[in-house]
Amino acid sequence: MYIRCTNSFTMTYSPELLKGTLKTIVLKLLADNKKMYGYEITQKVKEMTRDKIQITEGALYPTLHALEADGLVTTEVEYIGKRVRKYYSLSPTGKAATREKLKELTNFMDTMIALLEIKPKMA
Amino acid sequence: MYQLNDQQIDLILADLRQRGIETESMRMNLLDHICILIENHLDENGDFAQFYATTIRSFYKDELRELEDEARLLMALNKGCLLLSRNQFFLLLFALLIGPFITYDLVWMFKTGSGWFIPSEIWVSTFVFALYPLLVLLVLFLTPDRFDPLIPHKAKILLGGRSLIRVLAMDTAQ
Repeated sequence: MYIRCTNSFTMTYSPELLKGTLKTIVLKLLADNKKMYGYEITQKVKEMTRDKIQITEGALYPTLHALEADGLVTTEVEYIGKRVRKYYSLSPTGKAATREKLKELTNFMDTMIALLEIKPKMA
Repeated sequence: MYQLNDQQIDLILADLRQRGIETESMRMNLLDHICILIENHLDENGDFAQFYATTIRSFYKDELRELEDEARLLMALNKGCLLLSRNQFFLLLFALLIGPFITYDLVWMFKTGSGWFIPSEIWVSTFVFALYPLLVLLVLFLTPDRFDPLIPHKAKILLGGRSLIRVLAMDTAQ
C-alpha cells in the first residue's frame, strides 16, 4: 500500500517487490543530492522513474525516521514562517551503509537475472 | 498558488495531533509536506478544507497513526525489541498471569505426593486469584472487532523500547 507503482502501460509493479528497496533508494538519493526534504525526495523519485514509482508519504516518513534513529542520516531544520522543513543528509555511517546497500542490491539483481534467465535488453 | 495563513497551519497541526501523530518530528514533516501540496496544487480561490481532507486521506489506509506505528516498527527491528503477534502476546500474558497459580498447584501436588488430590482451599484460592485475570484476558482476546478494541484483530505488540508495551494497530504484511 505504501508505494504506488504504475507505468504508462497496463503493467504495475507489486508493492512487495519494491518495499525492501526503499531504504536503498532514499540513501542513494541523499548520496547524490547532499541534502533533501521529504517532498523533494518523492518528487525526485517520480521524476527519475517517469512516474513509474511514486513513493507515498506513508512509506517515506517512517523510513526517514528509522534511518535517523539508526544514525544513517543527520537532519537540519529550516524555519518557514510557522512551519519547519527538515532536511536529511547522509552521516558518515550512512555513506558506508549506502555503498553496502547498493552492492547488496546490485548483487541481488544479478542473482535474480541469472535465476529467472532474464536476458538484459541491449541499448 | 494558494497561500496558507497561520490559522490554517495551526488547524493542520491540531488535526495531525488529534489523528494520533505524537512525535513532533513526524508532525513537522507531515505539516510541511501537506503545506507544499496545498500551495502547489490548490487554486488561489480553492476550497482549503476540502482539499486538505482529500490530501490527508491519501496518506494512510485505515488511520494516520499507521505512519507512526510503521516508523516504530522499522526502528524496533534493529533495536532488540520484541515484536509479538496478537496470539503470542496473549499466550505470554496467560503464562504470566495464570501460570504461577497452576505452577503452585502442580508443585504442591508433587511435593506432597498426594497425586491429583488437592485440598479445596488451594483450589478455591487458585480459582479466586486466577479468575479475574483470566476473564479480562478472555474478554480482550475474544473481542478484537468491537468498537475501539484495546488490542485489535491485526495488532502487533512491541515489547521494549521507550514505552514498555505498545500496541501497533496494523498489519505488517501490507
